[in-house]
Amino acid sequence: MTPNVSTAAVRTCGLSRRYGAIRALDAVDLTLERGITGLLGPNGAGKTTLLSILATVGEPDAGRVSVFGLDPGDGAERVEIRRRLGYLPQELRYHRHFTVAAFLDYVAILKEITDRRRRAEEVARVLAVTGLQDRARSRIRALSGGMRQRLGIAQALLGAPELLILDEPTAGLDPEQRLRFRELLSDLPGDPAIVLSTHQADDIAAICPQVIVLLRGRVQFAGTPAGLAGTAAGRVWAADERDRRAHLSWRGGDARWRHIGEHSQAGAELVTPTVEDGYLLLSHAAGAR
Amino acid sequence: MTSSCPDAAGAAWHAGEDLLASYAERRAGAAASWSVEAHLAGCAPCRAALSAYVDTERLARNRSALLVRAAVGDGGRVRRLLRRCGVPDYVLSLLAVTPSLRASWLLSVVAVVAVVAGEAAAVSYGWIPAVGPVAGHPGPAALAPFLLVAPLLVLAGVAAAFLPVFDPAWRLAAAAPFSGFTLLLVRAVCALAAALVPVTGVAFVLPGPGWLPVALLLPSLALSAFALAAATIMDPRAAAVTTAALWVLPVLWLASADVPLLIVAPQAQFACAAVLGACAVLLYLRHDRFELGWMR
Repeated sequence: MTPNVSTAAVRTCGLSRRYGAIRALDAVDLTLERGITGLLGPNGAGKTTLLSILATVGEPDAGRVSVFGLDPGDGAERVEIRRRLGYLPQELRYHRHFTVAAFLDYVAILKEITDRRRRAEEVARVLAVTGLQDRARSRIRALSGGMRQRLGIAQALLGAPELLILDEPTAGLDPEQRLRFRELLSDLPGDPAIVLSTHQADDIAAICPQVIVLLRGRVQFAGTPAGLAGTAAGRVWAADERDRRAHLSWRGGDARWRHIGEHSQAGAELVTPTVEDGYLLLSHAAGAR
Repeated sequence: MTSSCPDAAGAAWHAGEDLLASYAERRAGAAASWSVEAHLAGCAPCRAALSAYVDTERLARNRSALLVRAAVGDGGRVRRLLRRCGVPDYVLSLLAVTPSLRASWLLSVVAVVAVVAGEAAAVSYGWIPAVGPVAGHPGPAALAPFLLVAPLLVLAGVAAAFLPVFDPAWRLAAAAPFSGFTLLLVRAVCALAAALVPVTGVAFVLPGPGWLPVALLLPSLALSAFALAAATIMDPRAAAVTTAALWVLPVLWLASADVPLLIVAPQAQFACAAVLGACAVLLYLRHDRFELGWMR
């Protein structure tokens, strides 16, 4: 995350937020460029709080946020940020009596697309992008979980936003849908800044040039997926026996044990770490899991 | 622009390339377009030639947009009527997610008002024996339940228009550029009007003073405005509950003293007018709170 005033889409400085005794965010400093940035962290790490603040829905207790150089604390600038924003909240709930098309039509109005013809064209566009065009007339209550998630992504894409904030967009998607989602993000025109919160380290490795690991409200890592994997270099082993001294151990599909830790046992061999290994090691070090 | 016309001998002729291209790109004038369309109806070669000039991507987009418009629908008779009356289509779409404007809610309001009013009428006319605080006094005291419930129903309709619990997708509205205060006002005013119709309508047929329907208007407006103004300085749910309590407590107290109509007497009307005015000023001064996602 190289600080760069001219290209930074989002910049936070000392961002903090508490919920009673719980510190959700603790002096978070970030600079997000255009392109896809993955946000990794366990439940309760502060990801949703951070994203809701970036989406102008949440309020920080302390610190500053700048989105495209605009201050969400200023009324006029906040509206301008919202005009350039697409937001998929975690566990988005719907007006279930709506049809897919009517729901998107409603959200398009909220995005100030008040002309009926233009709205229909925009809704048709996002339906096509998310592969929901055959479901335009379906009631939302009749959709599967995966389709609802795609509908959530579709509404976020309305208006071709420059900043796309997606809070766990792949939750509930099957493997094929997750691949299609990656394809969709990769094909978005206009080089928007995308912040993607997820538990899926393989999603991060596949499509995110940048990754941030948030643990206990603090940024523990900011860099490339390769850099995150590299933090576990020399500490991931494969062996035939379980190593009780390892921080984490599990048996893989090849019946061999994979250990993450500082020690090797006899016969264990070092293996190339993955993004997930790096993330798990960071989590362990922070005591977050 | 070149085009050919049938000669006197009826020799075959066809629309020129320039004309077909300008027609396909909607550059042709009205007269030329009508001429081309009349010719195309009977000329297969020109129809085939026209296809080369058609922007198929644009056609596909238009088709998709038309399908979307069909899927969104026109919202039924009421919506068509309102549209003819000049209400913008997008405003009607915003109202469609207001629970207190849905038929099920309005029917519930009518049912509650009918039950309370029916009970008041039955006691007043002596069809059922009076019990409790109204026992032996089947007069104004019989109106106490109606006086208690009627403005609360109006308040509930307005509260449902702005409480997040009634809008499952409120986060999307909070993060959208559309003015939250405008959204709130549009929904609240419509919910207020929709609830006032059955409440005042029933008040007209109740065996009470003839001014009762009018006397209910100011308290209902004042309660609604108070709830909205209070929501700018406290949690919206707490604002709605506090407002309801501010009505329920004095009504119960006056009912227990056998003078329930005092809650809509002239002095109370003045008080309600003052509250309404103060709340309107407060709303004007603090309306930007409704633009903040986090206040919801």
